[in-house]
Amino acid sequence: MRRVGICILALLAIAPAFSPAWGESFETRLSPSPLTDGTRINITGEGRALVQWDGNILSVSGNFTGLATGVTTAALYDGAGIGIPGPKAFDLTVSPGTAGTIWASIKLTSSQLKDLRAGHFYVQIDSEKAPDGNLTGWLLPPYPFAGEDVPVAGPGFLPQFDVPQKASSR
Amino acid sequence: MKRTFLGSTVLAAGLLGASAIALEQGPFTIDQSRAGRALYVANCAACHGPELKGAGEAPPLAGTTFIAAWGNRSSDELYNLVKASMPYGNGNSLDPDTYRKIVAYVLAANGAQPGSKALTGSESIKINTIADGKTPAAMAAEERAPARGGEGGAPRAATFYPQTRFGLTVAGTLPNYDPVTDAMLAHPKDGDWLMYRRNYQGWSHSPLSQINASNVKGLQLAWSWAMNDGGAAQVTPIVHDGIMFLSNTANTVQALDAKTGELIWENRIGPAPTRAYGATRSLALYGDKVFVPTTDAKLYALDAKTGQIVWQSVIEDAKEGYSNTGGAIAIRGKILVGLTYCNRYETKHCFISAYDANTGKVAWRFKTIALKGEPGGDTWNNLADEFRQGAETWIAGTYDPDLNTTYWGTAQSKPWTRASRASGAGATLYANSTLALDPDSGKLKWYYSHAPGENFDLDEVFERVLVDHGASKDVLTIGKVGVLWKLNRVTGQYEDSAQTVFQNVFDKIDPKTGIPTYRKDVQAAKIGDWISSCPGPAGGHDWPATSYDPKTDLMVIPLHQSCVMMRAEPMEKKIGVGGDAGSQKLFEMPGTDGNLGKLAAYNTTTMKALWSFQQKAPFLTGVLTTDGGVGFVGDFDRRVRAFETATGRTLWQTRLPTSAQGHIVSYAVDGKQYIAIESGLGGGSPVGKPTTLLPGIHHPNNGNTILVFALPENLNGN
Repeated sequence: MRRVGICILALLAIAPAFSPAWGESFETRLSPSPLTDGTRINITGEGRALVQWDGNILSVSGNFTGLATGVTTAALYDGAGIGIPGPKAFDLTVSPGTAGTIWASIKLTSSQLKDLRAGHFYVQIDSEKAPDGNLTGWLLPPYPFAGEDVPVAGPGFLPQFDVPQKASSR
Repeated sequence: MKRTFLGSTVLAAGLLGASAIALEQGPFTIDQSRAGRALYVANCAACHGPELKGAGEAPPLAGTTFIAAWGNRSSDELYNLVKASMPYGNGNSLDPDTYRKIVAYVLAANGAQPGSKALTGSESIKINTIADGKTPAAMAAEERAPARGGEGGAPRAATFYPQTRFGLTVAGTLPNYDPVTDAMLAHPKDGDWLMYRRNYQGWSHSPLSQINASNVKGLQLAWSWAMNDGGAAQVTPIVHDGIMFLSNTANTVQALDAKTGELIWENRIGPAPTRAYGATRSLALYGDKVFVPTTDAKLYALDAKTGQIVWQSVIEDAKEGYSNTGGAIAIRGKILVGLTYCNRYETKHCFISAYDANTGKVAWRFKTIALKGEPGGDTWNNLADEFRQGAETWIAGTYDPDLNTTYWGTAQSKPWTRASRASGAGATLYANSTLALDPDSGKLKWYYSHAPGENFDLDEVFERVLVDHGASKDVLTIGKVGVLWKLNRVTGQYEDSAQTVFQNVFDKIDPKTGIPTYRKDVQAAKIGDWISSCPGPAGGHDWPATSYDPKTDLMVIPLHQSCVMMRAEPMEKKIGVGGDAGSQKLFEMPGTDGNLGKLAAYNTTTMKALWSFQQKAPFLTGVLTTDGGVGFVGDFDRRVRAFETATGRTLWQTRLPTSAQGHIVSYAVDGKQYIAIESGLGGGSPVGKPTTLLPGIHHPNNGNTILVFALPENLNGN
């Protein structure tokens, strides 16, 4: 009985390093970026995206609203780090217009899965007048937000400490 | 492998203009560009210069640097940027036709030829297809000619500064003024606020306790005073024996009765502000004088009793762009000041200087740039001395009387990026360092380089806070990258650090030495590469200063959370050429949900955060803590709040006429405690970045005011 208990504990301990059957989720706010005072007129809107990894398939869903011009493309990018842009990894399906939804079902390589878990993946939505980025957001594990002005113990969510980083990349 | 987000794969080809390519006709008429010259002179030349060369924080609007930054961008983006954000701090204040004419003139000054169609602002034409940065000869001659009077003539004072006469405009006398001594500065009376951060240690902490957690909700306005509008205001009210000395824009100094707000004397030293940025953050008191480091890089001594000028000393030549914004500190009979806007290639360099308090005579200068052959001179990749710039000192230092050592921070080297500077991986000493100086001689005791070879406009210039932990005498500081540093202030040795916001600039910080390692792509960045930086140029931490509460050993830190993509631009290695040579695009910091503001309290012994909270609006004042267990801070969204120092819980808040600004102080008169808060404008990146990122938050573009709060009589307010 004691041996079984130890085995269960050991499995639980190593589980995050593999594909957990019960799923992992990552989410982000989509915000207008990159911005200057000169592009602000064309780079507007907001949205949210959620991705869920079930151990086999990555399901992407999200919505957006308030674009100044019609959406053209949406994609998942694999950055070089949190907040560091990188190459496009997957196209997402996007509904047309200045508000709508995004979705996709994607198979990841083990390397891409590591990048996802390290916070390197980001969602980018482009529009007619913002072809190099209109809404962007880095996918991170869900983190608690107590609300504006509400104190929390400690420094709050700091992605470089609270998201496990790839040993080789940072 | 296309990397969008900023389209960085297409940059290099368009960067250096299109001189080998035939230019197309510009999208404006000759009438527009001719009319635009006068409008440019009237509205833009004060900051960008009559020849569009740029100065201080205003970038060049003509030439290779402009084309490098804008060649690959479109004419409508230029129009939209100018319209949304210019004149600085007062965007959208001119009629659209004026903006069109100014943009037409800027394009023409970069070699664009007028055509038959008038500029509307909606044309999306790549600028390097119509302009090459070469100003036509006739236009260049006109720019060099003395400005004419009349409409569109001489550069006007910036941003609606009202016409006024200068000099001692209100005469009055303080009959019983008690001269400020070294002992008073070392051990200030509880009710006084004698210097920038109140005490030599830089704590911004008041020992007053009448206002406390149980009664602070009863705070009421005691009096208010409208300050000069026009220019930037980031005031620290200085209070001695019930008299408030207030620095306004245009280097105006006022003595007010701190109990009633009654004006006693006023000296409008001038000149009128020609820039909408660069405030005088603090005055200094010593003996019977008030010391005023002015925005035109002079140091004035006023008679504290009357406001009359006793002496003036030139720190550096303002005509070359130099300024002083950081205030001053009085130490053992000398007045120490810094210098800013040292971002042009020339034979001069930035320095800290000291002046005899009685005579104004220069006692010493410490140059903050290490030249060839000097200690540290080998950290600039062998650049010629004239191309080693920056290391400004735009925050006044602090002082340890026991060690007789003054501590100053320095800004980053200029231009901003390694690639633009051509400084390689060199540390570019003494930029972004803590300097420990002998205040009597200006001799360097030690230095510590916090960010060797900085690359993103991430200053480490801010307040140096002196705290003892048992026998360990420490100095703490935090810069734009958001790392709270702790050094031994006797030796300069690194002791510890703590990350307060998300950062991706450093891969690691050596736990023994504190030396950071920059990301590989930062180290390899070339001219034209867009490189990510979290935080961006508003910090992390910026000039809104920390407060240290000795009762709880907590340092309460105002923090900012946004990121930038920075592109290094080429800067011609030529005397007189200046600027920061970096283009910026902003984005939200990952993991913040768009909350730009963060306030956090760190225990300075353990370097662990006790509490923190976030909000949309960034904080725009220094923090004040008090012995009443209550702290105060104000923000971009016109809100000022009192919070419980131990928990961060908001206890009281109110809205101000415009954004909160400057440094909140507390003082007492006749046994009653007051809280003085500025509502005002200006503030550089901490204002500019949220203006871009938070268009839904509005505040009036005027309204510089000091507001003083106190408890009513029935709430222990006496």
